[in-house]
Amino acid sequence: MADQDTIDLVKTIEVDKYKYGFETDIESDYAPKGLNEDIVRFISAKKGEPAWMLEWRLEAYRAWTHMEEPTWAKVHYPKIDFQDLYYYAAPKSMAAPKSLDEIDPKLLETYAKLGIPLKEQEILAGVRKQGEKSTLDDDGNEVTAGRVAIDAVFDSVSVVTTFKAELAKAGVIFCSISEALREHPILVKQYLGSVVPAGDNYYAALNAGVFSDGSFVYVPPGVRCPMELSTYFRMNAKNTGQFERTLIIADKGSYVSYLEGCTAPTREESQLHAAVVELIALDDAEIKYSTVQNWYPGDAEGKGGVYNFVTKRGDCRGARSKISWTQVETGSAITWKYPSCILRGESSRGEFYSIAISNGRQQVDSGTKMIHLGKNSSSRIVSKGIAAGRSDNTYRGLVSAHRKALNARNFTQCDSLLIGDQCGAHTVPYIEAKTSTAIFEHEATTSKISDDQMFYCMSRGLSQEEAVALFVNGFVRDVLQQLPMEFMAETQKLIGISLEGSVG
Amino acid sequence: MSIALQPTAAEQAFGMSLPHRRMEEWRWTDLRARLDKPYPSIDTAVDEKSVARIMAASPLAGIAKYRAVFVNGKFDATNSTIPALLPSVIPAQAGIHLSIKENRVQSDSRLRGNDDGVDDPLVVLNTSLKPEGVTLHFSSNITVLVEIMHIATNAAPRAVALRNHIEVAAGASATIIETFIGEGDYVLSSVTELELGEGARLDRIKLEWESAKANHLSQVVATLAKDARLNEFTLTSGAALNRQNGTYTFVGQNADAKISGAYLLNGKQHADTCLVVDHKVPHCTSRELFKCVMDDHARGIFQGKVIVRKHAQKTDGKQSSHALLLSETAEFDAKPELEIYADDVVCGHGATSGDINPDHLFYLRSRGIPEAEAKSLLIAAFVGEAFDNVENDDVRAALVNFAEDWLRQK
Amino acid sequence: MLKIENLHVKLEDENREILKGLSLSVKPGEVHAIMGPNGSGKSTLSYVLAGRDGYEVTEGEAMFNGEDLLAMDPNTRAAKGVFLAFQYPIEIPGVATMQFLKVALNAQRKARGEKELSIPEFMRFVKDRAAKLNISQDMLKRPVNVGFSGGEKKRAEVLQMAVLEPSLCILDETDSGLDIDALKVVADGVNALRSPVRAMIVITHYQRLLDYIVPDFVHVLSAGKIVKSGGKELAHELEKNGYADYAEKVA
Repeated sequence: MADQDTIDLVKTIEVDKYKYGFETDIESDYAPKGLNEDIVRFISAKKGEPAWMLEWRLEAYRAWTHMEEPTWAKVHYPKIDFQDLYYYAAPKSMAAPKSLDEIDPKLLETYAKLGIPLKEQEILAGVRKQGEKSTLDDDGNEVTAGRVAIDAVFDSVSVVTTFKAELAKAGVIFCSISEALREHPILVKQYLGSVVPAGDNYYAALNAGVFSDGSFVYVPPGVRCPMELSTYFRMNAKNTGQFERTLIIADKGSYVSYLEGCTAPTREESQLHAAVVELIALDDAEIKYSTVQNWYPGDAEGKGGVYNFVTKRGDCRGARSKISWTQVETGSAITWKYPSCILRGESSRGEFYSIAISNGRQQVDSGTKMIHLGKNSSSRIVSKGIAAGRSDNTYRGLVSAHRKALNARNFTQCDSLLIGDQCGAHTVPYIEAKTSTAIFEHEATTSKISDDQMFYCMSRGLSQEEAVALFVNGFVRDVLQQLPMEFMAETQKLIGISLEGSVG
Repeated sequence: MSIALQPTAAEQAFGMSLPHRRMEEWRWTDLRARLDKPYPSIDTAVDEKSVARIMAASPLAGIAKYRAVFVNGKFDATNSTIPALLPSVIPAQAGIHLSIKENRVQSDSRLRGNDDGVDDPLVVLNTSLKPEGVTLHFSSNITVLVEIMHIATNAAPRAVALRNHIEVAAGASATIIETFIGEGDYVLSSVTELELGEGARLDRIKLEWESAKANHLSQVVATLAKDARLNEFTLTSGAALNRQNGTYTFVGQNADAKISGAYLLNGKQHADTCLVVDHKVPHCTSRELFKCVMDDHARGIFQGKVIVRKHAQKTDGKQSSHALLLSETAEFDAKPELEIYADDVVCGHGATSGDINPDHLFYLRSRGIPEAEAKSLLIAAFVGEAFDNVENDDVRAALVNFAEDWLRQK
Repeated sequence: MLKIENLHVKLEDENREILKGLSLSVKPGEVHAIMGPNGSGKSTLSYVLAGRDGYEVTEGEAMFNGEDLLAMDPNTRAAKGVFLAFQYPIEIPGVATMQFLKVALNAQRKARGEKELSIPEFMRFVKDRAAKLNISQDMLKRPVNVGFSGGEKKRAEVLQMAVLEPSLCILDETDSGLDIDALKVVADGVNALRSPVRAMIVITHYQRLLDYIVPDFVHVLSAGKIVKSGGKELAHELEKNGYADYAEKVA
């Protein structure tokens, strides 16, 4: 049973719950502190970008200087001094892209410590060794994890991308976006900013101006990507913002599953992370995008932690295309994130599955937008918010059907679980139906673990924390099942860890 | 980005700025843009014949025993059926105290209905229009119905206002009806304060059947003391533009509020209900149920927020809003919001939007019921669930009749 | 009474043909059983005869008392005397069963140019029939099928049939989801309605129901066609041997 796993895990947890909080001592190359047009030029030059790209960035930067920080989310934090940050930091040893063998051993060690081995043939697994059985399959099937290609991003640069050769054989392009700009400029130019325009919102504009790296995926028509693709983001350098940009294009009839993981060292100061992810699915294509976000959440008193301001949007551009977002949000001091789908194609489908856990002083404001434009488009939202400690956890979502989105369908289930009486759980859904042929159903509940349930478990020998982990795993089950195998173990473990200290 | 906006003609006439779509609660109802001409506050000559005609046309005509009638914002003693407005005529023992207050202008901070120190724009507007109104005080179990009726006659475009204060003393109970009905082009601003004492019970039925050109802007501010019970139903079917705000605050434990409503809208009607139910204390129950029927190009909006404050444990709050869109061009928007700071609570909301269920329609037709009749039956059943909350049989029957007429005229 | 000739029907959404040339003739007073494996087109036949949307008749015809049944609205078919007892009766919140019966009966009477029943007449009429089917007054007050158990739903369908007095009753898997006691009550209700002027088409997967509602004719439906017809003994044969023989025949 998966639940027993979690319980055992919770038992063994050490006092320091954020186990990814170590720092890698590595010399870095910084851009001068602060933000101005020269910094944008500096980043673009470092990347050896074409002139149009620099122009695009400058335009975004200029737009950003005229924009105001959004205040509508239910999150509170001191004003960010954007001039007090570094916008570019790269390990000195990373002057030029290298093969795996030439990578600074300190970096390899960092990723190994994070459970992200970069040597090909190894696998991404939070707790399992290669080939070890997963205990997670509910049907009792033995599951061994498949291979995963990884793009490892360390601060502002991509360190390495694995399995590139094998992917290339299938015609799949998987590389850092910097490399894509050099090697596949036509593809990048065609799609970059086509889903999240440079001036879309405050953080997206900032990102467009200064993003330093990220992943690029192109799956050609009719190709089913032979392995899971993954990017692992690591923020290390002090006072440095991380601004990555991911662009995934699934051409007609193709399929790709992409995983994203994130961690950062424990620091007293807050770190800024403002990423943009754009997905494009053409006719009959499917993109499955999964995130396990575990940035440093700050300490129990709310000191430090990552400010995670992310714009993620998928465009179901083609008929019968499908984009599915699955997210597990356990980290970050502040999360501001709404992975969305524009359901443009006829009979296209969008899905959003979310587990958002907040503890300590964390503030989460997350949800999705399902914009129905195409006929017969459908969407499904399942959101599970768990608030503990003194945290605030908000689901914010929009489901809209355009007048021409005949027969659009949405089902939304949005559940909150509160643990303790010092936290807050909020639901802010917006529903806009502009055609009678659209059928929208929205349900939300808020609940707690009842005293009776708690007593029952404890009378069977579980500790309070074990009982909580058990309930929470049950509560999020629908969403957990959407995760690729490789992430489920890590996620269940994270849930236990994230809720440490939430009771008693 | 705050851009200083040039005051519109309506804003100049009101001497205040109007809420607009960049304000979160007004995102779907841009009042500033909708009120496209000045509505001055002017006295208009009353045409007695029109008043009599409009009164007789009220779907609830003749149901209430006591009636306070206002015409174009002014008290109308002749048509009011409260024998006189003096406590000596309705003795205190009878349990009803009523007084007419003229030009109540004080801006009561209690009417804010929020904690951010900003007065609600609808209350500010109401205050600026120097409203008249009644203060009703119920001190025992009153079984007769009391109606407050506002009639607008067809005169030049103008703004009229009403502010009523209804108090139900500890242990007392009452049923009141508020009717808004009229002809012509006007802005009607109404503020109703409801104060329920310990163990008090109030049934309130509101019928909004303003003129097709009218703008109906209303605000209810209710407080419920310990063990109080409020049962409210609003039927919204008139006015070109309707915005109804309500703030319901539990200040004593074990109180219960049932807030329900139905929309029957067609043409280009626009109705927006925006409710805040604030659970400040433990052990209270709130139920919101709205059934909205929109035909033609009508647009219905439901915004409901349930707040459960820290320590308001054992709160039971449920909210549901359901829309039936009868034409492809009708619209429904909803924002059912929960803001919860206590863990031992049961809260939830449900919202649906859609057309008549084709399976239901087929089933009825397979039993021989023609399509149009089957549709009417299904629409009536859809809104009927909300009507069921009206406890008074006469009022409920009259409202159901009104709904049936509305459906027939489709 | 009913004459179906070479009926071809496909699903509008899927462009898949379900009925592939079905023919059937039913005379007043007869009870026909249609048996077949899952997916043979049994429910499609019942829905097409009742006039549900989503099916397209590509070929063939169905005449009811000399009129083109397929050209009529569902409610016109009902008024002419066609009744479908649904396999999965639809729940209709907010409409009381009693009200529903009254509206349906009067709509049919009106369509036939008959006088509508007065409320007391109607109440007596329904109560009498409800009692025979063990249907309580409480059930009649509840919304149509809402919160009814499987057995209650099927009894309510038979009650509707008894009240509306159709001339052609189509019973779609009326036995599904019923225990033996409930099945007997339903079968008794149906048998009470058998008459020389009324015909029935009983659609079922199992022979069990036919022990209680004994048919005059049994037809085997397989892959959208009637592949064999016979007397009631055919049902027993099917019970013994299953549908495998017939599936092969078509393949």
